[in-house]
Amino acid sequence: MLNLIINAIINGILLGGVYALLAIGLNLLFGVLKLIHLAYGQFVMIGLYILYVLVVNAGLPFWAAAIITIIVTGILGIIVHILIVQPLLDAPRLNQLLALAGLIIVFENLSMVIWGADYRNIQMSLPVVAVGGFYIRMSYLIAFIGGLITLGLLYLFLYKTYLGLSIRAISQDLEGVELMGVNPKVNFYVTMAAGGILTGIVAVFFAPIYAVHPHFGSSFTILAFIIVVLGGMGNLLGGFISAFIMGVVTSVAAFLTTSEIADIIAMLIFIGVMLVRPQGIMGIREAR
Amino acid sequence: MKRSYLYFLGTLIFIGVLIFPHFVSNYIIHIAVLILIWSYVSTVWAYMGRFGLVSLGHGAFLGIGAYTSGLLFNNFHLTPLVGMFIGGIAAAIVALILGYACFRFGVIGDYFALVTLALAEVIMLLIIALREFTGGSLGFTLNKMGNSFLYLSSDSKIFFYYLALAFVILSILIWKKIDKSKIYKAMRAIGEDELASASLGINVIKYKVIITIISAFLTALGGSLYGQYITYLNPHTLSGVGVSLDIAFKAILGGMFNIWGPTVGTILIVTMEETFRGIFGSHFIGVSEVLYGIALICFIIFLPKGIYGTIVNKLSKK
Repeated sequence: MLNLIINAIINGILLGGVYALLAIGLNLLFGVLKLIHLAYGQFVMIGLYILYVLVVNAGLPFWAAAIITIIVTGILGIIVHILIVQPLLDAPRLNQLLALAGLIIVFENLSMVIWGADYRNIQMSLPVVAVGGFYIRMSYLIAFIGGLITLGLLYLFLYKTYLGLSIRAISQDLEGVELMGVNPKVNFYVTMAAGGILTGIVAVFFAPIYAVHPHFGSSFTILAFIIVVLGGMGNLLGGFISAFIMGVVTSVAAFLTTSEIADIIAMLIFIGVMLVRPQGIMGIREAR
Repeated sequence: MKRSYLYFLGTLIFIGVLIFPHFVSNYIIHIAVLILIWSYVSTVWAYMGRFGLVSLGHGAFLGIGAYTSGLLFNNFHLTPLVGMFIGGIAAAIVALILGYACFRFGVIGDYFALVTLALAEVIMLLIIALREFTGGSLGFTLNKMGNSFLYLSSDSKIFFYYLALAFVILSILIWKKIDKSKIYKAMRAIGEDELASASLGINVIKYKVIITIISAFLTALGGSLYGQYITYLNPHTLSGVGVSLDIAFKAILGGMFNIWGPTVGTILIVTMEETFRGIFGSHFIGVSEVLYGIALICFIIFLPKGIYGTIVNKLSKK
């Protein structure tokens, strides 16, 4: 019994790496741009479908398909920005949220029309390695490492480049940034493109783990929101730590009870954090 | 002059709505019943929405109402006339707890929307998790009762047409009642400036909680009505994020600040869905929904006040 629980915890930690990867893009959009991207999970889903078409239908090698997928999702991010986010930048933030929620309907049904309701995965099974009586899935481990690297790159981008600096400045004071001679329009484009690219990266690492279907996205969107809020919006390190917390909590709860109860616990943590500590476990309370 | 003309037009429409189901096919009546039920639900949603409390979790209240009355009926043979009020009270209690917690900690705007969205998901997962009682994801069918008003059950669609119509009228009357009450003045003041109204002695939390409870209670009644009409309860069609967004979309599209806005929005969306389904239905499942989603996004971008709201604003300016 204890052995199984320890195994559930190890699984949870690895799952946490996968979740961390998932949440990074949303952390950028929600935390930095304050954009409530409700269709985030659907972006990942589209990425997975593109990858599936390229690998299974077009017969490309995985690495080539992965690069194309990441580029396409980046472009998709820009398109969504031009068509939906840009016209609503001055509108109440609730309208942005609702328009992106409308996008959920579009994406889910579009993939239903094109690919049908079947579960599809690229036939790529990675081994499960046994270490000292505990089982570790290689696909999770790879996603875990991928998450670390992506986080590092994003950190370098946001904190070591001029563009990253101006993106962070926009989230603090839009008018002030404009007075300093930065064109926020360009930054919005870059951020949405980066958000799209990150969903593409998530899709690439998710491909060996999950089979994709039209209703794939919504649960991951909510999960990503939980992680970002728990870690503190825009706080990359906080998001990373909270991903591990959520990974372990859901993994152990799912082992002890059922997966629905585990999800309910995750939601209740989310509601609780939103109420009591909206700045997250690592965040600093700022005046709104 | 203009006012009496409007009254005349209103009376004409009302008489038309009253006699209309006797002249059309069962399919049209079915759509009309759906329009009426969802008009009711989105109107009571707008009780909150128009004061800036945009909830994306009304699926939770809908699900609580439908499942409470449905389960009480199937297991204890309790009439839905009583069951729907028990469901309403259950929803009101949930609304009280969540509302008080949110408003006490100052969760507003898009953050309130996110918290309520999570609530909708919690209720849906709870319904699925309690699968010994609720049938889980597969849902369950209500026992057959034949024609009985006492059990809100009938084979005739016209029965539900008039029942749902009564609910819509009720929701409109309550809207007007709220407009005349102290709640309206307080909520308007809070909407303008929360801090200033609090310092003037308005109990901000109390009024917000009251309006949330009213809305949740009435939504649960609507859920029960919908369950009685469809006689099949499923967690995905009665609770969860999808339904909650649908309710909000209907009210926002029509214009949540106007008394007839949610109704106009519902008529438009349901008709649009059915028309698209009629055109594309058998060939491409989903194409209709894609177009519906695109239309929604366009409306939100170009007519943020809603269709009815925009028209009324234009007319009143003239």
